[in-house]
Amino acid sequence: MTAILTAEAMGKAYGGRENRLPIIEGLSLSIQRGEFVSLVGPSGCGKTTLLMCLAGLIAPSEGQVRFMDRAVEGPPIGLSVVFQDYSRSLLPWKTNLDNILFGMRRVVGMDKAAKRNKAKEILAAVGLTGFESHYPWQVSGGMQQRVAIARGIAAQSELLLLDEPLAAVDAQTRADMQDLLLDLAQKFQQTCLLVTHDVEEAVYMADRVLVLGPRPTRVVREVVVGLPKPRDQLVTREDPVFLHARHEVLQLIRDMRHRKASA
Amino acid sequence: MNSAVVLAERFRVPLCLALVFGVWQGVHGLAIVPDKFFPSIPAILAAFWQMLTDGSVLVAWTTTFLRALIGLVVAATLGVALAILSDLSPVLSRGIRYVSDVLQPIPPAAFVPMAVFMLGLGVKLYAFVIVLVTVWPTYLNGVAALQSVSPVQVNTGRMFGLSRSQLLWQIRLPAALPQIFTGIRYAATISLIAVIVSEMLAGRDGIGFMIYKKVNALRTPEVFGLMFLVAFSGSALNALVAVLRRSMTAWHMGMMERRE
Ligand SMILES: Nc1ncnc2c1ncn2[C@@H]1O[C@H](COP(=O)(O)OP(=O)(O)O)[C@@H](O)[C@H]1O
Ligand SMILES: [Mg+2]
Repeated sequence: MTAILTAEAMGKAYGGRENRLPIIEGLSLSIQRGEFVSLVGPSGCGKTTLLMCLAGLIAPSEGQVRFMDRAVEGPPIGLSVVFQDYSRSLLPWKTNLDNILFGMRRVVGMDKAAKRNKAKEILAAVGLTGFESHYPWQVSGGMQQRVAIARGIAAQSELLLLDEPLAAVDAQTRADMQDLLLDLAQKFQQTCLLVTHDVEEAVYMADRVLVLGPRPTRVVREVVVGLPKPRDQLVTREDPVFLHARHEVLQLIRDMRHRKASA
Repeated sequence: MNSAVVLAERFRVPLCLALVFGVWQGVHGLAIVPDKFFPSIPAILAAFWQMLTDGSVLVAWTTTFLRALIGLVVAATLGVALAILSDLSPVLSRGIRYVSDVLQPIPPAAFVPMAVFMLGLGVKLYAFVIVLVTVWPTYLNGVAALQSVSPVQVNTGRMFGLSRSQLLWQIRLPAALPQIFTGIRYAATISLIAVIVSEMLAGRDGIGFMIYKKVNALRTPEVFGLMFLVAFSGSALNALVAVLRRSMTAWHMGMMERRE
């Protein structure tokens, strides 16, 4: 397997000389083609900051990010992000379909008509047939989320970064969306890095879970999830392999919290 | 009860007019102010009709309205262009800010006499005065609007590979447009004020000059008639801006209606 994204000894601090606030320090990770990787860490530990660095939207203070064997110095072609604030990332003056097409603007080898067809196909895959000419603000929050995910997939990127895309929905919708996301990743052979603060979700979705430590954060453990695909909300979550992986991650997070409390 | 509200809503313009005229006639009937200075509505209408039939008011109105309209278009274009330039260059932005801090508080009446000396009574005068007072609301609203575009939207554009100028044209300007129009609407009102005041002081043509003449001749019914005409012109200018706004930011109006 080949790594499509790597970060080496990466660091990021906010603020100036006096009020320096280190968020990430000495972080290394790598993502292989075809993988589904979860990145799990508590709220405020720096997950969004990390994702922005990986996507070339903010520059790391130290170290380097490489994507497709090139140093990342700005948003690279072939990498898309589904932002945590997904509803605001949809352009309100464009219809849902035009938002998807906007995400496809760097897709090559497809004429306009082919792009339109592809965009419609992807909207259908997220269950939004009939909402192509609606504006994002005319559909529900859950639908907006699916438009945002559809746009990420439509970009046909080598790698899709997802920043807590399912954080704001109820449990049942969340389970459905998890399966939808896994289906989409399978169907469109999409390599994904999913950021979440939910350990169960991280394990359920991923081939590999990267656990982030407290701030300044770095990857403190990698847990390989040897569960078969496709996953199933009932069967997978009762599988001893699932339970074992979940246990390992939760134990680790609890230990970190105790260490922090006693320090 | 509810249908009465709906009915009142539908006929609010004639209702308001009837109310204003009713109160007006009531006050007139009480004769608090001498009839000479507070004429009745029929007297005003008669005087206005007279001016309309002899053609003088139409010529003056066309002059005034075109000045206000052209002034508004030029000032709005210039204001938005300056806002974009300011957005690109912080140095320029600070420079314009100093200039606007000095010029913006000066009422048009204060520099019209000077401008008449410098520029004469022609097009240059009106161009100068109107643009100088009307450019600021569009400029300041434009700058604020461009600055307050959500970083998430900008990042979305960057992620999908927009260049700096593409970000401006495809993300930031469309996002800023609703607020830019707030400035233009405000500028429309100011533009008309500036034209009327300039015409009064320059003393050659237009509704402003006509009002001035009629005031000096104590032709009160004519003055009131012209005053109502100015009010109507202001509404017409606003309506034109509203039409443009509706066609360019329909999405925003839909979104706002939905929020309520
Ligand atoms: N632009 C910024 N300037 C200063 N501090 C920031 C900035 N963005 C985020 N932070 C801080 O960095 C920390 C990590 O934020 P974030 O990456 O959003 O965490 P997470 O996504 O894990 O919740 C938070 O304490 C946040 O307040
Ligand atoms: Mg976050």
